[in-house]
Amino acid sequence: MAGNNTSPTPPEMRDVFGQTLVELGREYPDMIVLDADLHTSSKAGYFKQAYPDRFIQVGIAEQNLFGIAAGLALMGFIPFPSTFAVFATRRALDQIAISIAYPQLNVKIPGSYVGLPTSRAGASHNCIEDIAVMRALPNMRVADPGDNADLRAIMHSAMDVDGPVYFRIARYTLPDMFGPNHRFEWGTGEIVRRGRDVTLFGTGLMTGKCLEAAALLEAQDVDAEVAHLASVKPIDRELILESASRTGCAVTAENATVMGGFGSAVAEVLGDRCPVPIRRIGVPDRWVNSGGVDDLFAYHRMTPNDIAQAALEAIAMKKAVSPRRTTTGNLQWLARD
Amino acid sequence: MQSPPDVTLQHIQDMAYRIRRLSLEMITYGMWGHIGGSFSMAELLAVLYFHHLRLDPARPDWPDRDRLVLSKAHGSPALYAALALRGFYPVEDLYTYCELDGIEGHTDMRRTAGLESSGGPLGMGLSIAAGIALGLRFRENASARSFCILGDGECNEGNIWEAAMSAAHYHLDNLIAIVDYNKVMAKGFTWSEMSIEPFADKWRAFGWDALEIDGHDITAIMGALHEARWVRPRGKPLVIIAHTVKGRGVEIAEFNYKWHTQAPEPETADAMLRELSRRYGYPEEGYSRLAGRVEKETFYGGE
Repeated sequence: MAGNNTSPTPPEMRDVFGQTLVELGREYPDMIVLDADLHTSSKAGYFKQAYPDRFIQVGIAEQNLFGIAAGLALMGFIPFPSTFAVFATRRALDQIAISIAYPQLNVKIPGSYVGLPTSRAGASHNCIEDIAVMRALPNMRVADPGDNADLRAIMHSAMDVDGPVYFRIARYTLPDMFGPNHRFEWGTGEIVRRGRDVTLFGTGLMTGKCLEAAALLEAQDVDAEVAHLASVKPIDRELILESASRTGCAVTAENATVMGGFGSAVAEVLGDRCPVPIRRIGVPDRWVNSGGVDDLFAYHRMTPNDIAQAALEAIAMKKAVSPRRTTTGNLQWLARD
Repeated sequence: MQSPPDVTLQHIQDMAYRIRRLSLEMITYGMWGHIGGSFSMAELLAVLYFHHLRLDPARPDWPDRDRLVLSKAHGSPALYAALALRGFYPVEDLYTYCELDGIEGHTDMRRTAGLESSGGPLGMGLSIAAGIALGLRFRENASARSFCILGDGECNEGNIWEAAMSAAHYHLDNLIAIVDYNKVMAKGFTWSEMSIEPFADKWRAFGWDALEIDGHDITAIMGALHEARWVRPRGKPLVIIAHTVKGRGVEIAEFNYKWHTQAPEPETADAMLRELSRRYGYPEEGYSRLAGRVEKETFYGGE
């Protein structure tokens, strides 16, 4: 469950990534981390320090990074080919798709530096389409953690999956949302704030912004529900349908493009079974440019204020489309299946 | 080591002949496939699967087996034929090639016993084989080797050279690449589409040992593989550049990129199979399913 912020300055998410790699390395002797010359940025270097014999440097050659990972998985190892998300999901997509996802090999793919926070590196390094691309691959699981505890839990559950997993790591310091005993289950979301008027579906670091948006809305007498869906694929259809059928409208928020990613995944579920008004927050269909992180969120209308505004629009659409829904709910849509 | 039942030269020659025949039967019956690239590596596969590789068809997951990654996965008919002849599955199964839930057009390791990887897009196999070689090293498995069959054209791909660089960097002398250098690509000749020469020098410059052989000469292939396994392991990966003829065995397909991807009409296949019999000195035999088939609505001749 969501809690108040406890620690004044939580570690950066990438530090937790590196620490969790070491933690898993202790537990899984067959785990191998591979790197393409970025380990001190991604923090995969923590694993190199702890287990130098199980760390493979391939140089700046991402296609080979994923091909070698496939070969190691065929030998029964659990490889973590680590690089920035852009280089994994753009440069090496074919290797990820056909060498790994197609034969369902046990490869865990961390995507570092996702979405807007990449330290002013610009469009070439802002990975915004990875959710859309990776969730389109059969056999691939996709997760975007909401805080450090969530990332750690995702990495632990990735080890329980016999197959490929893609998970995102933001170069960002996120407020703690979940306690240290947080658990993550594939295909299971979590309602982190109960509400009646609209559901804010968040994934990754945007769930925190949804909670902030809910606080803004509360001041305007709007009671927003917030659902965190770290597991983008498989996605928690039941939670989405149950929540949206109660609140009658939805907003999605992701640290990625709105084209084909998390918002699309939620819209697919709602469109199939429970069509309610929906607004999507994320990077619009354009390339990101360099800038400070806060400026980028403001520029792409991805702040808590923007989410709150979208929620008001969704509520207005709901009233315009079907006034009765606000009182009777939408459960009849569920029953039709 | 599990030896195949009969390792005489004649037997290997018989197997190369049958690999060609079955490839053509599959491609004709499945109405899709790559004759040229299947025929050019028939002897290579015959020596590998009926003489050299440590395999046990009864235990496809035997940890001490050799692994072979077919990077030029469009040559899959020849590999499927070799695996069936070696006993991984019945020869009859080959006639499900390119059918729903049958044998995949390229390679799907989850669907066919004996395959060590999945593939299709070119340029990707050597990295997988390098990963297997590294994995064998981690497992301290000194018996098994990692083999990779590459096409010459796919050596245009950058991924091949990334893999080559890393294999030398990690001293993977348990990795053996075999290039089916048949000089012909999908739409033209290797020298004209994108030249790869000086080829052996490229590999040597990347830190590899390189051997060049006649890829249709069974004893030469046996000798090269012996050298690769027992003589050369001294800290460098090895490439065997096997000079072959694309489409070897049927005159119209030889050295001819128009037969890179081409499923023949049953009557054409029948004539080709009879030509194969005469060419290799076997009793003349045509297409086994000439009378059956083909009631499909579309015939995918050509590409």
